Amino acid sequence: MSPAANMAVFVGGVRLANPVLAASGTFGYGREYSPYLEPGAIGGLVTKGVSLEPRVGNPPPRIVETACGMLNAIGLANVGLEEFLAHKLPWLSEQPGAVVVNLYGESVAEFAELARRLGAEPGVDALELNVSCPNVKEGGMAFGCHPGAVGEVTAAAVAEAQGKPVWVKLTPNVTDLAPMALAAAQAGAQAVSLINTLLAMAIDPKTRRPKLANVVGGLSGPAIKPVGLRMVWQVAGALKAEHPGVDVVGLGGIMSGTDAAEYLIAGAKAVQVGTASFTDPTAAGRIAAELAAYCAGQEVSAAELAGSLRI
Amino acid sequence: MSISLKAKVMSNQPVGPEIFLLTLEAPAIADAARPGQFVMLRVSPGPDPLLARPFSIHGVEGGKLLILYQVKGKGTKLLAQARPGSELLVWGPLGRGFDLAAERPALVAGGMGIAPLAFAAERLEERGAAFDAFYGLASKEAFIAWDSVSGDGAFFLEDWGWNGASEDGSVGLHGLVTEPLRTRLEQDGERPGAVLACGPLPMLKAVALLCAEFEVACQTSLEAPMACGVGACLGCAIPSVGGGYLRACQEGPVMDASLVDWKKI
Repeated sequence: MSPAANMAVFVGGVRLANPVLAASGTFGYGREYSPYLEPGAIGGLVTKGVSLEPRVGNPPPRIVETACGMLNAIGLANVGLEEFLAHKLPWLSEQPGAVVVNLYGESVAEFAELARRLGAEPGVDALELNVSCPNVKEGGMAFGCHPGAVGEVTAAAVAEAQGKPVWVKLTPNVTDLAPMALAAAQAGAQAVSLINTLLAMAIDPKTRRPKLANVVGGLSGPAIKPVGLRMVWQVAGALKAEHPGVDVVGLGGIMSGTDAAEYLIAGAKAVQVGTASFTDPTAAGRIAAELAAYCAGQEVSAAELAGSLRI
Repeated sequence: MSISLKAKVMSNQPVGPEIFLLTLEAPAIADAARPGQFVMLRVSPGPDPLLARPFSIHGVEGGKLLILYQVKGKGTKLLAQARPGSELLVWGPLGRGFDLAAERPALVAGGMGIAPLAFAAERLEERGAAFDAFYGLASKEAFIAWDSVSGDGAFFLEDWGWNGASEDGSVGLHGLVTEPLRTRLEQDGERPGAVLACGPLPMLKAVALLCAEFEVACQTSLEAPMACGVGACLGCAIPSVGGGYLRACQEGPVMDASLVDWKKI
């Protein structure tokens, strides 16, 4: 048996015991999954997107299963900043692993305010700006589709975050993702997370009605992994050339340790496990263990695996 | 405490037209299960179908968990093919079950809604509590044998004095299950301490309305498309009175009918 691999990584200004994080919107505020994961099994988690005010979200039906995937149109339902700070963050802060807070604003000023409040919290390790949600009318993806807007939101958050690392979660629903990543990097982001869900829809042929009340939603799950890999590879290449200190956190359809390894090989420094947690509440921990076994078998550390694609 | 495990299939047998009784070896889940709670079950390990399905707990026998299900779509069709000895990923027990503390409750099941209410009836029987039970179905053929299903832990409905109603009159009273319930509510003397209902949405709405009319507490078991079962995905939104949503998996699946916005559902 190969000796254990060194799985620790330093990504986007945050030290992780291993490169597997739970993805925003798929892991609640962490506690929902505590019965199913050993403490410290994963490197950390990214919270459900937090907005200044609570949001009730979209009308149902909000989710629908598709071939090797699912669509969601939750609409960023969340408890709001005050409730998060009072009742979610204290428990999270006591857990091993990094706490990355995903935040969502409808304006640059809201992003800045959220960054200011959350940046002041000792229990928060990094902020992840959600400029990529396809399921809300205001803000969301609108910010993530123009390099100028990505840069503006990022700069505003970085200025208020009191030194806390800022990550930017990018949408794949653009012609070319590299300019968005470069704009985030230029504005001071320490990492970009990609990809968010792919804008998609499903129709019931019997009723001719959309299967989601929101008509369109975001596609996630193993169906999108090849798209995510391609985009991570492209963005990692672009960042390496212009902003070598800025990391990529890869996600999209990771269901196994080898899926996670592929993202690292493509150029990600860490990965996020999302929809897999829905299909198996132990998935994130299992994937971290499988990735460690893969690295041990390859006699490579997680940091060495990152960006090791052979072309 | 909910747990996740690979459960061995003990048996998976047809007990009616397109209706199966699945028995899983899952002691930790069976021991903790309460009537009205559910489990998430992966019908196959591969990526398609991707998501687990929520199933009501039909009962427990020793360390075995009983699931009564109807073959409806791709997932349940695959589940019906699960062989004894194979393993299925299951997590639970999940959600809020029925409150069985009410004085002489009335149980109202429609179709597959019998699954959790048979479990509730069993627990009430065990503690010697008095209750009334009503069971509505489309026709006698539409469901598991009316008087008995032997072996494998299916419940003997007749023994527990379920008052039947069928839409075609082939068994029990000719009509909807809400009719015998109304008769019961109109009876002089003591009213049910609560009505516990599970079944199709139109039935639940009618039962909720009836209970409101007679000012009887009503607990309804609701379902919604669900991905995780543990409160994270926020997919299973049930419109609540006063705006906003309740999660079928956390605030439910059994919800006080007065909390649900029945017009929006």
